[in-house]
Amino acid sequence: MGIENLWESMPKINEILSGAAAIAKGMTVTIKEMMNPVITDDYPDAPPVFQERYRGLHVLQRDENGLEKCVACFLCSAACPVQCIYIEAADNTDQLRISGGERYASVYNIDYSRCIFCGYCVEACPTDAITHGHGFELASFNTSTLIYRKEKLLAPLPEGTTGALKLDHPVAVGDAGH
Amino acid sequence: MADPITLTIDGKQVNVPAGTLVIEAAKQVGIEIPAFCYYEGFSLQAACRMCLVEVEKMPKLQPSCTLPAAEGMVIHTESPKVVDARKGMLEFLLTNHPLDCPVCDKGGECELQDMTFRYGAGESRFVEIKHHVDEKQWSPAVYYDAARCILCYRCIRVCDEGLGVGALGLTYRGVGAEITPSHGDHLECDECGWCIDVCPVGALTSGTYRYKSRPWEMNYAGTICTHCGDGCKTTLSVRNGEVIRANNRDRSGINDEFLCVKGRFGFDFVHSPERLQSPLMRRNGKLEPVSWSEAIGLVSDKFLEVAARGGSFGVIGSTRATNEESYFLQKFARQGLETNNIDHHRSGDVATLLDALSGKTKALATVNDLYTAKAALVVGADLAQQHPLLAYQLRANWRHHQSSTYVVSEGPVREDQYAAKSVRAAAGAELAALEGLREDLKKHGDLVILFGASVKGDAVRSLVAFGDSLGIPVTYVCLVDYSNSRGAMDMGVLPDLAPGYKAVDKPGMNIDEMLTSPTLDVLWVVGANPLEHTQLKNEKAFVVVQELFLTETAQRADVVFPAASAYEKSGTVTNVCGEVQRLKAGPKVMGAKPDLEIMGLLAKQMGLNLGIWTPDKVFEEIRRSVRGYNVALPVIATGGAAPTMPVNGRIPVSPRPDLIRPSGDTLFTSGTLGRYSRMLNKVMEAPGQLYKP
Repeated sequence: MGIENLWESMPKINEILSGAAAIAKGMTVTIKEMMNPVITDDYPDAPPVFQERYRGLHVLQRDENGLEKCVACFLCSAACPVQCIYIEAADNTDQLRISGGERYASVYNIDYSRCIFCGYCVEACPTDAITHGHGFELASFNTSTLIYRKEKLLAPLPEGTTGALKLDHPVAVGDAGH
Repeated sequence: MADPITLTIDGKQVNVPAGTLVIEAAKQVGIEIPAFCYYEGFSLQAACRMCLVEVEKMPKLQPSCTLPAAEGMVIHTESPKVVDARKGMLEFLLTNHPLDCPVCDKGGECELQDMTFRYGAGESRFVEIKHHVDEKQWSPAVYYDAARCILCYRCIRVCDEGLGVGALGLTYRGVGAEITPSHGDHLECDECGWCIDVCPVGALTSGTYRYKSRPWEMNYAGTICTHCGDGCKTTLSVRNGEVIRANNRDRSGINDEFLCVKGRFGFDFVHSPERLQSPLMRRNGKLEPVSWSEAIGLVSDKFLEVAARGGSFGVIGSTRATNEESYFLQKFARQGLETNNIDHHRSGDVATLLDALSGKTKALATVNDLYTAKAALVVGADLAQQHPLLAYQLRANWRHHQSSTYVVSEGPVREDQYAAKSVRAAAGAELAALEGLREDLKKHGDLVILFGASVKGDAVRSLVAFGDSLGIPVTYVCLVDYSNSRGAMDMGVLPDLAPGYKAVDKPGMNIDEMLTSPTLDVLWVVGANPLEHTQLKNEKAFVVVQELFLTETAQRADVVFPAASAYEKSGTVTNVCGEVQRLKAGPKVMGAKPDLEIMGLLAKQMGLNLGIWTPDKVFEEIRRSVRGYNVALPVIATGGAAPTMPVNGRIPVSPRPDLIRPSGDTLFTSGTLGRYSRMLNKVMEAPGQLYKP
């Protein structure tokens, strides 16, 4: 190999300079981003963060006494475009009071193999009983485990309540009228 | 006054007879005028003011439910003035009506809800607290929520006018006014539940349907009630294969909207926990569940073995099975088992009546004839107790057409309320009492004679002779007790008569002879309970039973097949007036099979060729071979009732009047089925003397 060839194979000075400038430009973006707060989630190492209105796994809410808000009116199942909600209603009695209304849902199932998280059920609910929570880890190897029963959907009891009706003043409903 | 009258409703000309109400005239041209209190067929109330219409040249809006049409009237039903008035009325109705639609059973089929949506009166200007009254339970079947009541008086009117019970009235005044049972805090009535159905809002709700479902969640099957012989159409509401409600709101069928307690609430025997759901076979003296193939195999082997050695069979058919099943059963017995030992529990002497009417045409009354006849004569029967639909028809005829009803009965009956004449006579002595009515009966243009089980044998012939001597057109109804008693006879489930009342060569044993025969080898009982009060004489007899429940007969059986009830199968049944109607399968009960299928499987296992055993194919054969049953299929298929006359000639056998035994059922009992209906039992145990004559 002759000396001329070697000379010709060496980079020109302006090429070296433009290379260095590109690296410096790239590094500025990197260094600038290092200073900014992190946008991506660390899921699954850390819990994900959701927008408030994210439509995740449903939650059946309770009222301030811890009674269930759902009165089994069937409107959510009527609104559901994929018919994934199944309800059976039953009577509240003096001995067994489950919800605040006259009746409660003795069975409330949501089939998550069909649910499309459209939110129509939440919109239809007259008592704000069904809401979207932020749960999303539904994956399963067995679709039969995707039917969630009421027990799995219910919100936990609020602090200091037992799920029994508490009134701040006595009410004699039967005396109304005559 | 011109007749017909011509008037204009919303620009449409309509011709109606004089006296027609505007609300009815509007219906004829397809214009619906909303009304809460108006109810076709009952007295006028004009309480709700929803049907207000604008009539030209009349200064004020008029209630169309009480306004008779007049010549040249020009009516506007949806003018801005009318719409405004209706909106105002709704706002008033909603002042105290709780907005608890989500927990109200009526939600989705509520007339008040529909009207509020239509006229947009959802927002109220009233800020006062709503008047609240707690919900009351009047009976196991009826709940009343006074707060929801809009005081349309429909319930009061159907109870008082329709049924003649008058169990409901109005108490308190003004805002506190509410419907109240006539006997304090509970109902003393027929518990028919019609008040629940006519309620335009959710004030009256049903004990069986309470909180169970929503109208859009259910499938509907229009079928025929299986409790008594009247053949009422009942529309079953089915959710997840379970019947949760029965009514007939679409007014299809012969009964319009009428149903009795059994039709409306007595369906729950279908889902009784005591239903048999697997074949049972006796092993070491105990009945144990076995597979279908094992049970069918054993019965088939036994039948073939007994047939091979020339043993005797006894077959007892059902009074609740479909025509197809009865026909197939007698074919199985006569062709397969080569025996005429076939019978059923007879509850009326139809054979003698048909024989006595030999040569006459149009001599059998239909259910509708009871509503149009000029006069009716009831002999030896408590209609309101045992044939509620027929009683309702007679009463409606009296209300609407001022017809005359004559009663000859043993004790007081409800027909006495409006009967032109009531005569008391002991059972069996009714005919002697008839002579006193002869002159009265002659006055009428035509007459329907209904007679119960106490008139049988020669008494039927005397009764027909009496009818002939009146000189007016007379039609007859032989009252039979079960849902397909008539069909079982027409289909030849009789030892001496083949289908269509044709004589057989060698009459077989009747039901009593079978049970008391010391040599009977096999007793095959399809949907009956003959051993309820008696024992089978031959203790060694092999007993096969097809039944819904483990009845006394099933407990004695060697093999029990779980049968499907009438609500779970297809086929046709014939009612007390001889009208054929179609059953439509609604609910499903796991493990049970229709009797026809059980018989078909048995025939196949035995290698018998009895034809295809689907209800349609068997009905085709019945249409071909049984006289009078060649009815128009579209009538049957669309849920109509087709009258039959299975014979018009002499029936050449002497029937056995002593074998005719009334079921003894009341308005609240229904043989085996009623025993397993929780609601019927609860109603009977509730306080209050229920049925009053």
